[in-house]
Amino acid sequence: MDIIETCGLCKRYGNVLRVAHLDLDVPEGCIYGFLGPNGAGKSTTLKMLLGLVRPTAGSIHILGKEAESAGRLDILRQVGSLIESPSYYGHLTGEENLRIVQTLRNVPETNIREVLQIVRLDGQRNKKVAHYSLGMKQRLGLAAALLGFPKLLILDEPTNGLDPAGIQEMRELICSLPGQFGMTVVVSSHLLSEIDQMANVVGIIREGELVFQDTLEALHGRSRHHLALRTTNNAVAQSLLAQQDIHCTEEEGYLILPILSDEIAAHLTRSLAEHRLGVVRLEERQKSLEDIFLELTGKAASL
Amino acid sequence: MKLLGLEFFKCRRRKVVLVCATVLGTELAWFGAYLTRQDASDLVQGWMLLFYNLAMIDAIILPISVATLASRNCELEHKGATLKLLETMAPPGRLYLAKLSWGALVLAVLLTVRSVLFLAMGVAAEFDGAVPLGRSVMSTLLSWAVSMMIYALQQGLSLRFANQAAALVCGIFGSFIGIMSMLFPPALVRCVPWGYYGLMALARMEWDPDTRFTQFFWQWPQPLDLVLLALWAALFFIVGRTLFVRKEV
Repeated sequence: MDIIETCGLCKRYGNVLRVAHLDLDVPEGCIYGFLGPNGAGKSTTLKMLLGLVRPTAGSIHILGKEAESAGRLDILRQVGSLIESPSYYGHLTGEENLRIVQTLRNVPETNIREVLQIVRLDGQRNKKVAHYSLGMKQRLGLAAALLGFPKLLILDEPTNGLDPAGIQEMRELICSLPGQFGMTVVVSSHLLSEIDQMANVVGIIREGELVFQDTLEALHGRSRHHLALRTTNNAVAQSLLAQQDIHCTEEEGYLILPILSDEIAAHLTRSLAEHRLGVVRLEERQKSLEDIFLELTGKAASL
Repeated sequence: MKLLGLEFFKCRRRKVVLVCATVLGTELAWFGAYLTRQDASDLVQGWMLLFYNLAMIDAIILPISVATLASRNCELEHKGATLKLLETMAPPGRLYLAKLSWGALVLAVLLTVRSVLFLAMGVAAEFDGAVPLGRSVMSTLLSWAVSMMIYALQQGLSLRFANQAAALVCGIFGSFIGIMSMLFPPALVRCVPWGYYGLMALARMEWDPDTRFTQFFWQWPQPLDLVLLALWAALFFIVGRTLFVRKEV
C-alpha cells in the first residue's frame, strides 16, 4: 500500500509552474528519499502534502484518504513533520516547546520524556531553546515531529546546517525509525550521498518534474559498466569496430564500447595491431551515481 | 480553550506583565501629575475631570500599548517559524481567534485594574460626590471595546509582517492621531479608529470663551458611534483573519 499518493500535483506561482504534474508513490514502511537540486520544488511539494501550501491542481492521498481541507487535520494527526528549519519558541525550554505540541496533538505527557531520550536531548530539556546550538534545535524539531509517534514522518532537509557528526547522528536516527517504530519516512535532500545512505526508495525532482521514482537498487542499476578505448587513430578504429558489429561512440577522445568478453577484447586488440593502430588506453569504467543524478537533473550534483 | 491556554503558556517570559505595569504606571503618573496642578475649585467636578482625562490618556497611551501587546504575542510565531508546525495541528482560523481572545483577556484585566486604581485615586483625592461605580464599569467596557477594535487591527498587522516595525509604527501613529482627533469634528473622528477613545468618553468638556470657564458634563455614547465601533472591529477582524488564513507558510 502507498502511504502517500499524489496525482498530477501542480503548484503555480505567477506564470511559473514550480511543481508540475507530480505523481508521487511512497510505499508504506520505506525511507523515501526525495532528491533534487536547490529550487527544484521539494519543499513546495512537502508543504502541499501537509496542507501548508494549496495545490494549483492535482490530488493528494495520505494513508489512503484524500487530504482535502476539511479532513486534513484528522489525517495529519498521524503525520509528523519538520519543514525547512525547525520550529521553536526560543524563550521557552525544550520541554516547554514539546508540551505545546503534546497538548495540541493530545498525546500522553510521557511521550515528551521518551522523544527527548530518542533525540538525546533529555539532559538539555530545561534549557531555553534560544541557547541551543543549531544541531540541538534540529533534534528538538525532530522530537516534536516524533511526539505522537506518527505513521508517517516528513522531513525536509533535516541535516541542513549540521556538522559532520550531527549529520551522521541524524542519519542513524532516521534509518532506525522504520524498524523501531514502524514509521514511513519521507526525507528530502539536495545531497545525493545522503539519500544514498538513508533511502530505499528514491524520487528525483527536477524543475518541478519527477524525473525518476523507483528503488535505490534500480537507480544503482543504471550505473552500468562500459569500456573506454583510446587508439593512435580513433576514426580508423571506429570504422574497424563497426565492421566487427561493435557499436561505439566517441567521447572526449575515447571510444566508448559495451563490456566485451575477454576473448572478443583480445581479438579486438589483435585486430587493431594488425591494422597498425596502437592501443594507448583500454579501461573498464562505471557510470557513477553522481553521473546519473547529473543526467537526470541536468545540474551539478551537490556532494 | 486549549488554544487559548497555550497562548498564555507561550507568552511566559515575554514580559507581558511588565508591559502592562508600564502602561498602568504611565497612566497613573500622567493623571497624578495633572491632579497636582489643579486647585480646589477645579476639583469640584473631580469625577468628571477624572473620566475626561481618562479618555484623553487612553487616546495617547493605549494605541501604542495595544500595538506592543499584540506584537509581543504574535512576534514569537515569526521568530521561531512556528506557524508551519502549528497549522499542521490546528486550523489557522482557530489559531487567529485564540490570539485575539488572549488579547481580549489581557486587555480586560489591564483596563479593570486601571479603572480600580483611578477610582482609588479619586477617593484618595476626596472628589465630591459618590464614587460613580456604574459609570466606571461602563467606561472600562467602552475602553476595552475600543482597544479590542485597535487590537484586531494590530494583530492583523503583527501576523502579516514578520518585521514588527510596521505594526509598532502604526501604533505610534495611532497614539498621535488619537489625541489629535479629539480636536476634530465628530463626523471626522468617526473615520479615525483611534479617535473612538475620545468619541466614547463619558465626560465631555465645554469651554466658554467669554467666562473662560471650563464646564464638564456627563454624556452617554451615541448609538450610531457604538454601531460604527462594532463595524470597524468587524472589518479589522475579518480582513486580518482572511489574510492570515489565506497566507501560505
